[in-house]
Amino acid sequence: MFALAVCSGMGLAQEEAPLETQFRQQVLPLVEENCLACHSSVEPEGKLDLTRFKSASDVAAAHSVWQAVLERLEAKEMPPEDAERQPTAQARAAAIAWIRAFRKFDAARNASDPGIVPARRLSNAEYNNTIRDLTGVDIRPAKDFPVDPANEAGFDNSGESLAMSPALANKYVEAARFVAEHLVLKPRGISFAPHPAQTDTDRDKYCVRRIVDFYQRQPTDYVAYFQAAWRYRHRTALGQPAARLEDVAREAGVSPKYLRTVWSALNDERFELGPMGKLQAMWQVLPKPTQPVTVGTAHPASRDAEVERPGCLEMRDFVVILRRKLEPPVKGLKVQGIHEGSQCFVLWKNRQYAANRRTYNKDALQIERPEQPAEDKQLAVPADETERAKFEESFARFAEVFPDAFYISERGRDYVGKPRELQEKGRLLSAGFHSMMGYFRDDGPLYDMVLDDEQQVELDELWQELDFIANAPARQHIGFLWFERTDSRYLRDPEFDFSRPEHSDCTSEEKITRLVAVYLAKAIRNGASDVAIEAIERHFRDISSRIRWVEQARVAAEPTHLAALVDFAERAFRRPLTETERGDFLSFYRSLRSDPTITHEEAIQDVLVSILLSPRFCYRMDLVMPAGGGQRALDDFELASRLSYFLWASMPDAELLACAKRGELRQPAVLLAQARRMMRDEKIRGLALEFGGNWLEFRRFDQHNSVDRERFPTFTNELREAMFEEPARFFVDLAHRDGSVLDFLYAKHTFVNGVLAEHYDVGDITQSRDQWSRIEDATSVGRGGLLPMAAFLTQNAPGLRTSPVKRGYWVARRLLGERIPAPPPNVPELPADEAKLELSLRETLAQHRDHASCRSCHERFDSLGLVFEGYGPIGERREHDLAGRPVDTAATFPGGSEGAGIDGLRRYLKEHREQDFLDNLCRKLLSYALGRTLLPSDDGTVSQMRERLTEDGHRFGTLVETIVVSPQFLTKRATGPIAKDRTP
Amino acid sequence: MKKQLTLKPQIRNEQELSRRTILRGAGVAMALPWLESIPVWGAPAAAPPGADAFPKRFAALFMACGINSHHWWAKGSGESMDLGQTLEPLAPLKHKLNYISGLFNKAATGVGIHPGQTGNILSGAQLKKGAELRGGISMDQLLANTIGQDTVQPSLVLGCEQPTTGYHETNFSMAYSSHISWQNETSPVPMEVYPALAFDSLFDNRGSRRNKSVLDRVREEAASLSRQVSKNDQAKLDEYLASVREVEKRVVRMRGDQDKATEHAKDKGQPLATMPRPDNGLPEDIREHMRLMCDIVALAFQTDKTRVASLLLCRDISGLFYPFLDARKAHHSASHDDLSDEYERISRYYVSQLAYLAQRLDSMPEGDGTVLDHSCLVYLSNMWSGSKHDSTKLPLLQMGGLGGTIETGRVLDYLEAGDENRKLCSLYLSIMDRMGVKLERFADADTPLAGF
Repeated sequence: MFALAVCSGMGLAQEEAPLETQFRQQVLPLVEENCLACHSSVEPEGKLDLTRFKSASDVAAAHSVWQAVLERLEAKEMPPEDAERQPTAQARAAAIAWIRAFRKFDAARNASDPGIVPARRLSNAEYNNTIRDLTGVDIRPAKDFPVDPANEAGFDNSGESLAMSPALANKYVEAARFVAEHLVLKPRGISFAPHPAQTDTDRDKYCVRRIVDFYQRQPTDYVAYFQAAWRYRHRTALGQPAARLEDVAREAGVSPKYLRTVWSALNDERFELGPMGKLQAMWQVLPKPTQPVTVGTAHPASRDAEVERPGCLEMRDFVVILRRKLEPPVKGLKVQGIHEGSQCFVLWKNRQYAANRRTYNKDALQIERPEQPAEDKQLAVPADETERAKFEESFARFAEVFPDAFYISERGRDYVGKPRELQEKGRLLSAGFHSMMGYFRDDGPLYDMVLDDEQQVELDELWQELDFIANAPARQHIGFLWFERTDSRYLRDPEFDFSRPEHSDCTSEEKITRLVAVYLAKAIRNGASDVAIEAIERHFRDISSRIRWVEQARVAAEPTHLAALVDFAERAFRRPLTETERGDFLSFYRSLRSDPTITHEEAIQDVLVSILLSPRFCYRMDLVMPAGGGQRALDDFELASRLSYFLWASMPDAELLACAKRGELRQPAVLLAQARRMMRDEKIRGLALEFGGNWLEFRRFDQHNSVDRERFPTFTNELREAMFEEPARFFVDLAHRDGSVLDFLYAKHTFVNGVLAEHYDVGDITQSRDQWSRIEDATSVGRGGLLPMAAFLTQNAPGLRTSPVKRGYWVARRLLGERIPAPPPNVPELPADEAKLELSLRETLAQHRDHASCRSCHERFDSLGLVFEGYGPIGERREHDLAGRPVDTAATFPGGSEGAGIDGLRRYLKEHREQDFLDNLCRKLLSYALGRTLLPSDDGTVSQMRERLTEDGHRFGTLVETIVVSPQFLTKRATGPIAKDRTP
Repeated sequence: MKKQLTLKPQIRNEQELSRRTILRGAGVAMALPWLESIPVWGAPAAAPPGADAFPKRFAALFMACGINSHHWWAKGSGESMDLGQTLEPLAPLKHKLNYISGLFNKAATGVGIHPGQTGNILSGAQLKKGAELRGGISMDQLLANTIGQDTVQPSLVLGCEQPTTGYHETNFSMAYSSHISWQNETSPVPMEVYPALAFDSLFDNRGSRRNKSVLDRVREEAASLSRQVSKNDQAKLDEYLASVREVEKRVVRMRGDQDKATEHAKDKGQPLATMPRPDNGLPEDIREHMRLMCDIVALAFQTDKTRVASLLLCRDISGLFYPFLDARKAHHSASHDDLSDEYERISRYYVSQLAYLAQRLDSMPEGDGTVLDHSCLVYLSNMWSGSKHDSTKLPLLQMGGLGGTIETGRVLDYLEAGDENRKLCSLYLSIMDRMGVKLERFADADTPLAGF
C-alpha cells in the first residue's frame, strides 16, 4: 500500500502542491469577489452554495458542480450581464484553466477507478425483460410498478436511484405470484403459459394452441413438394448436381420423408391410367429450367421466375379436388335411447374417419358404359373388370400417397349430419361433442408420412400434455355423466344414480367399471349391434386408461418439477448453484408439503415465488463486493451479467453463461466476440429502449397524451405506437449493422410502417399498417435520421402549437449534451394555441430574447428549434402555422452562422457541433454501461472512445467494444473514493 | 417515506386493471376491519365513524336458464309490496328489495342462446365464438381491482357447479356458460366450488399463510447475504430486507387484526357470526352446497374479509337435479318447460337462496343498521324464458341499501323506457359509482340507470 502510494504519487506530487496554491491564489479570490453575493450558504441562487469550497480537495469531492461552474464561466453566462462586478478576462481565464487542470490531475490520479456501483434491484424494464427471457413469455409483471426514478445522467439503471420500499416489496410479492399463475406443470418439467393458466379453460387453451401451432408449422402444401421434386429432377441444370433429395427438401423447407414418398410416386412406378397416370403426365410436361442458376441462389425466393410453379399449382389442385371426392363416408351408430352425440358413438365415428385417411371410397367411382357415360370424368372407370382393376390400383395408390387430410385441427358436430362445410368452425381439436368438452387426435398421415422421429416424439408429448395439464380425460368423463342425464336421458334411470358428476369419485376405476356394466346391459336390452357394443366398451376402456395415466403421471412427475425448478433458479440467479443451495430448495419444498393442505402444485408455486423474491434474482448481485472490500476483477459470471444488462437490459442467455462456465469470458477476444454477437441479437432492443429511449427521451412516448386528438384526429394510438417505434428501430438497425453513429444526425434513411408512411406522406409505399420497412431516401419527404422523427417533434410540442424552445432545447441538451439551467419561475407562458397568437411564435420568441436574463440561455437553443417550424405539433410537414401564417424556418445559429430547415441544422451541426455530439454520446453510453454517474477518472475511457470512433469510421460497435474491455467495466471495488485518504 | 397503499381514484384503462384481478388470492392485501383504526402501513388512522366508516359490499348471485314468468312479478312498494309466488321467500325483507324488470344486456341478444347470453352477464362485452375466448372484464372484478385491495381477498368468486369447457351448438365455448367473473378479456377468474377451500382462503387466510412461509425464507436469505457483503452493498440489501420484513409484518398483523375485530365486536355486544369449517370435497346435496356458499359470503362480508363476491348458484345449461323439489328433470331440461309448476318450484328455490343470504346479512348488526344495509345484492338470470331462450329482458332483483345510497322497497320497470334507457350495464355503472369506481362508460352504457 505504501509502495503503491509512493510510486504513483511521485509524479503527481509535483503537481499537487501548485494546484492547491493556485486554487487559493487565483480561484478562491474570484469566487469570493464575484460569486458569493448570490451563491452563498443562505438561500443560494440556483441552489448553488460556493462557500463550502475552501480547498482543492473540496473541489475533488464535487467535480460535477465545478463542471457546471466551468461551463458558465466559459460561456460567459456567469456572472450574469447585469451583475455589478465582472472578473477580468485574465482572472476568468486563470480560473478556467485551473478547473480544467485540476480535473485532469484528479482524473489521472484515479484513472481506471471502477467507482462505487452498489448492488441494486433490477429496474422495472430489466425485471420485465429478465422474466421474459427466464420464462419464455413476455408477461411484464412490472408493468404497474411505480416509474423508476432516473439518476443524474438520465438513466434508471443505477443504485443511486433504484431504491426499495415496503410498498414496492409488496408489489414484488404480487409480481412473483403473477408469474406463478402462468406456471404450467408438465409430465416432465415446467413451462410458462403466455396467459394465466389456473382455470380449466385457460389450461385447455394453452395445450390446444401448442398442438395447433405445431400442426400449422408443418409443410403440408402439395405445391411445395411438387416444386421440390422438380428442383431435384433438374438439380444439375440448377447448378446443384450433387444435391441429395434430403438437401433439396431442407432447402425448400419441406419434409424429406414425404418428399421421398412424392418423388417415388411420381417417378419410380409407372401409371398409365387413373389419377396417378394423369398426375404423372402433368409431372412429365412441367417445363425445364430456363436458365442455369448458380449454386447458392437456387432457393425459390431468389430465383427470377419459378417456371415450374404454374404447373405444380395445377397438380396440387388436381390432387386436392379429386381427393375430396374419394373420402369414404361413415354412417353413425344408432341405438335406441342412446343420444347420437354420445361420446361412445362420436368417438367411434371419428376413429372410422381417421382409419381411412389413406384409403378411398370405391363406391364413388363411376363405371362408364356406352349408354351411361360417367358424370365426372375424373371418377370414370371402365366396365371391363380387368381394365377397371388397373384403374382401381391407380386410385388406391393415389389415395395412399395423398391422404384426404394430414391432420384435423378443428371439428364441428359431425353426428348432426350436416355436410362438413356447414359444420361449426373454430372448435380446435374438438372431438365434436355437443356441449361436452373433449378432444380427438386425428393426425395419422402427418405423423406417419411427414414427421421425423424427433417431431413424432414432440407431437406425442404435446398430446400427452393436453391430458396431463388440462386433466382432459377426467373432465371429459364428468361431461359424459352430465350430458347423458340432461340432453340425453340415458342415465336417468335410478340404476345409474351411483355415478353422478357431482360425486368426487365418479372418475374412479371402480365407478367406471360399474358404469360400463349397467350402461352396456341397457344398450343390449335396447338392441345394440355388436359394433355399437364394441364402441361402448372401447370408449370406457380408453377413457378409464387415460384417466389412470394422468393420475399416475402426475405423481411420477412431481420430482421432475422440482428438478426443473432448481434449474430455473440457477438461471434466475444467473450463476451456478452449489449443491447446498440446490438441496435448500428441496428442503423448502418438503417443509411446505409437510402442511397437508398445501398441494404439490401450490408448493411448487411457492418455491417459484421464493426464487423470484430472492435478492439473487431481483437484485444485481454481480455488482456486489464481498465484505472486506478492496478492488477486484469481476468473475466470469459477474461479467456475463454485467454485459447482458448493458447490452440487452436482461439476463445472460445460455451461450453467454456457457462461456462463463468455461471460464473464457474474461479473455478479451471472447468478450469482444460475445459483445458483437449480442449487438446483432434482437435483444439489443433492450439497449435501444433503455439507453436510447432515456438518452433521447422517447422511452415513455408510447403513453404520450398531450395531443389534442380532436384537432389532430390522425394521431391515433396506432400512430403514436409507430412514432415510438421509429427511433427504436433506427437504433436497433444501427447496432445490428454496426453503422456509423453519425447516422443518428445525417442519415438519409429511416423506418416506417404503413401508419407512419401515411403520416409522412411517403407516397407509393404499399405495405400493411404494421409491417415495417426501411426507406432509403427519406430526405425527399423531409425525414431521415433522428432530427425530424415525429416522436421528438410531437413530444416537444405542447399540443396546439409547436415549441421551438422545447425542440431546440432537446437538440442542445439531448444530442449535444449542453447543460442549460432551468428557466426562472416567473417566465410568462406562451398561449397554448398557435392559432391564437398575435405574432408568430418566431416573433414572440425574439421579443422574449430581448430580456437580458432570458437571452443567455435562449440564444443557445431557440435557433436550433426554429428550423423545425416546417413541422407541426404532431411532426407533420406544413407550410403554414395553425394561424395560417407561412412558416419560416431560417435561423441564425449560435456563433453566427445561418441556415434554414433541417438541412441547415444538419450543416450547422456538421461544421460546428459534431464533436459535442460525439462527446455527449460517449459519455452517456459509458454512464449507462457502468450504471453510475461518470467521474473525472472516466475521462480517459471517454477519450479512448472518441479516438477509436474517429479511427474506425464512427462505428457504433467501437463504443461498445471500448467500454466492455475498459477497467471500469471489468472491475469493481467496495469502499469510498479511492483517493479518500490522500490529500492533494 | 413510507407510502400509504392508496386506492386508485379512477380507473384509467382496462389493461391496468387486469393485473390486480390476477393477484386476487395472493392474499397479501391488508384487511383493515371497519371496527379498528390501527394505523397500518404508515397510513393515518381510518376515517372517524359515520356512515362512510362501514364498507360497502357487492354480491352477484346467478341462476341460469330463466324463471317461471307467470309467477315472477311484484307490485306496489315498501311494506305493501305484493310479490309473485316465486318471490314469496323474500316477503319478510321486501322493504329492502328492489324488483327491477325490463333491463337487458345488448351483447347477449341476437348472438345465439345460452353461453352467449351468460359469459358477459357481468361484463356486457361482445363474446367471441370458437376456441379463442374473448369477452371483457366483469364489473365485480372492476370493483375488486379498486376496493378489493384493502381486504384479505379482493373478491370471492364462488360456484356451486363445476365449470365445463365444451362447445355449445351456437359455437360459443361452454366456458362462457360456466364463468360470470372474468379477470380480463380472455381469462375467467378461477371459480371456487369447494366450500372448504373457499372457507380456508378467507378464514384460515391460506394466501397469507403461504406468503408468510415464502417471506420467511426470503428474509433469511437476504439477511444471510447481507452479512457477507461490503458496506455499500449491505445498505442496499438491508433496504430490501427491511422492506420484506415490513411486508411480512403486515401479513402477520392481518391475522391479529382479525382477532381484534372479533373481540371488539364481542365487546360491543355484536357477536360475529361463526360457522364451522365445511368438510373437504363437494357437498353431494346441492342444498347443503348453496347454503354453505351463502354462509361464506355472509361471514366474509361481516368480517370484512372481502367486499366483492360473485356466486354462480348453477351454471348455464346446468345439470343440477332437485329431487327434494319433486323434480325429475335436470335444471336445463326443466327450464325448457319454464311455465310448469316444476320449474316454478325450482325458480322459487333459487330465490330462497337469495332470501337466505339477505336474511343472514340482515341479522348482522353494523352501526345503526345491518350488514345488508351496507351491501348491494344483485340476483339475476341470463334469460327471461327458458323455453324461448329470451334474453331481451332479464329477471333481476336487488337487495340492500348500499350504505344509504340505494332506496329500496321499490318496483322499477324499464321495459317501456326504450333500449337506450334499460341497459343492464347502466345499472352496473350506477352501482360501481356508488362504490367509488367512477367510470365514464362500461360496455354499452355511458349513463347510469335513471331512477335507480
